Amino acid sequence: MSAEPFPRPNVESSAPLRGELTNSDLDKSFTIGGQARPVLENINLTVRPGEFVSIVGASGCGKSTLLRLIVGLDSEYGGEIRLDGERIATTSLDRGIVFQDHRLFPWMTLEQNVELALLNTDTPKARRAAIVAEHIALVGLSGFEKAYPHQLSGGMAQRAAIARALVTEPKVLLLDEPLGALDALTRVHVQNELQRMWLAQRSTMVMVTHDVEEALYLGDRVIVMSPHPGRVRRIVEVGLPHPRDRRSPLLHRLKDEILAELTGNPAGEPANLVTFPARESR
Amino acid sequence: MASRPLPLPAPAAATAGRSPFAPLAAPLSLLAVWQLACMSGLFPPQVLVPPSEVARTLWLMAGSGELERHIGDSLYRLAFGFAIGALAGLAFGAAIALSRLAEAAFSPLFLTLWQVPVIAFIPTMVLFLGINEPFKIAIVAVAAFFPIALATFDAVRGVPRAWFEVARVYRTRLPDLVRRILIPATVPAVLTGLRIALTRAWIVLVAAELLAADSGIGQMMEMGRQLFQLDVVLAGVVVSGLIGFLLDRGAREIERRATKWRTA
Repeated sequence: MSAEPFPRPNVESSAPLRGELTNSDLDKSFTIGGQARPVLENINLTVRPGEFVSIVGASGCGKSTLLRLIVGLDSEYGGEIRLDGERIATTSLDRGIVFQDHRLFPWMTLEQNVELALLNTDTPKARRAAIVAEHIALVGLSGFEKAYPHQLSGGMAQRAAIARALVTEPKVLLLDEPLGALDALTRVHVQNELQRMWLAQRSTMVMVTHDVEEALYLGDRVIVMSPHPGRVRRIVEVGLPHPRDRRSPLLHRLKDEILAELTGNPAGEPANLVTFPARESR
Repeated sequence: MASRPLPLPAPAAATAGRSPFAPLAAPLSLLAVWQLACMSGLFPPQVLVPPSEVARTLWLMAGSGELERHIGDSLYRLAFGFAIGALAGLAFGAAIALSRLAEAAFSPLFLTLWQVPVIAFIPTMVLFLGINEPFKIAIVAVAAFFPIALATFDAVRGVPRAWFEVARVYRTRLPDLVRRILIPATVPAVLTGLRIALTRAWIVLVAAELLAADSGIGQMMEMGRQLFQLDVVLAGVVVSGLIGFLLDRGAREIERRATKWRTA
């Protein structure tokens, strides 16, 4: 893994409107047992081109649903979701997604899995192999082109899934708890990789996670959501340049604040204190 | 660490700690008990033919080309009928898996007929098709059709939704979806269905030949029974068992090769 500092993409001055994602007055409800149950209510959020936005929140706050709406797997919603001004109604190669489970096809080699994403593009056949190899290198898996998913470790499989999502060069990459199933060490490693890839690729990224530290380490902004129905509770600007230092006091202070917000406890007071009723001595 | 490569799968150590002669122990013991029972004189030799006599009969029949003719006829019927039944079963199973309408219309009838032993269709089929080749090919096709249709249905329905979502995200076109995702995803279960259907079809064919035929392994046994040549009957038992065993082994090998990627 390379710790080489990449220059931060200068998003404001680069080509305008490449990967600007706007959610306005977004509502979504599911029908459960004949009753409409709101899962997302009045979401207003604009993701700037090239920005990395993290979304955190308790389970049930609709963060995965939001990603499914943005990627276009679910097109029934109220309000507007637009990418560079165009309303989202179905899936598109402009929007990539990485799921929590890598969803690689077990009968395809890593190479074939990545190439699958290019099948319905006008990329000339001759160029495809080179593009695939380039993206496998980007995620640091060169040498594993012919490996089947069961021959890869969890972290490697997830990086392969990221390569597949990036190979079409989407304007927006959505990450749905992509590191949720990884162990703590692998997680830190893939976080670093993800940051490096984002700096190299400079596409807009939206990541859903339940790990506040991860959200702060990677995100330019962290969206804190509250559940039942899912709403934007707070937006935290992380004013630190990338790549970041995990030990930064600012990150730790923000983490405490967000955790307090999520658990509903004022910072500093332990949430797990249990007081037993006083017992009389027998 | 994350980037540590997992070891590539080692060749399966299936025979480790096992003698290569282990599979032979049970059949040889059976032969020994059989031979001893004959030598004890408890049963008249017309009723319980010793294995040595069966082996001699097999040798003579193989020498005269009679055995070869019976096996050839039976295998031809199996191949022909199985091909028809497999194609129909694959098409039908895929159709009721993909179309809710087709499922609603056909699956109750299908599941009812599936409960009927295939042998029970023999009398009716003899009336309509006679006892010649079309009948035997048809009975094999029917025997193969049901397990294959069922396996295909389950295989197609069992393709995880998540994989269709991946295809939607990458806007995979239908021909690519079928060829690269749907078929590979269903191949393991369909192959298992084909293998089960093949051995079932073989059993039904031998039974049908016992009841009505002019040649084939089953007919050979039936003739032996009528002429009270029990050595011929037992030779038929041995041959049909061996053929069934080899069909199953061959099909398993094809299955293993086609699903190598599953080796975890």
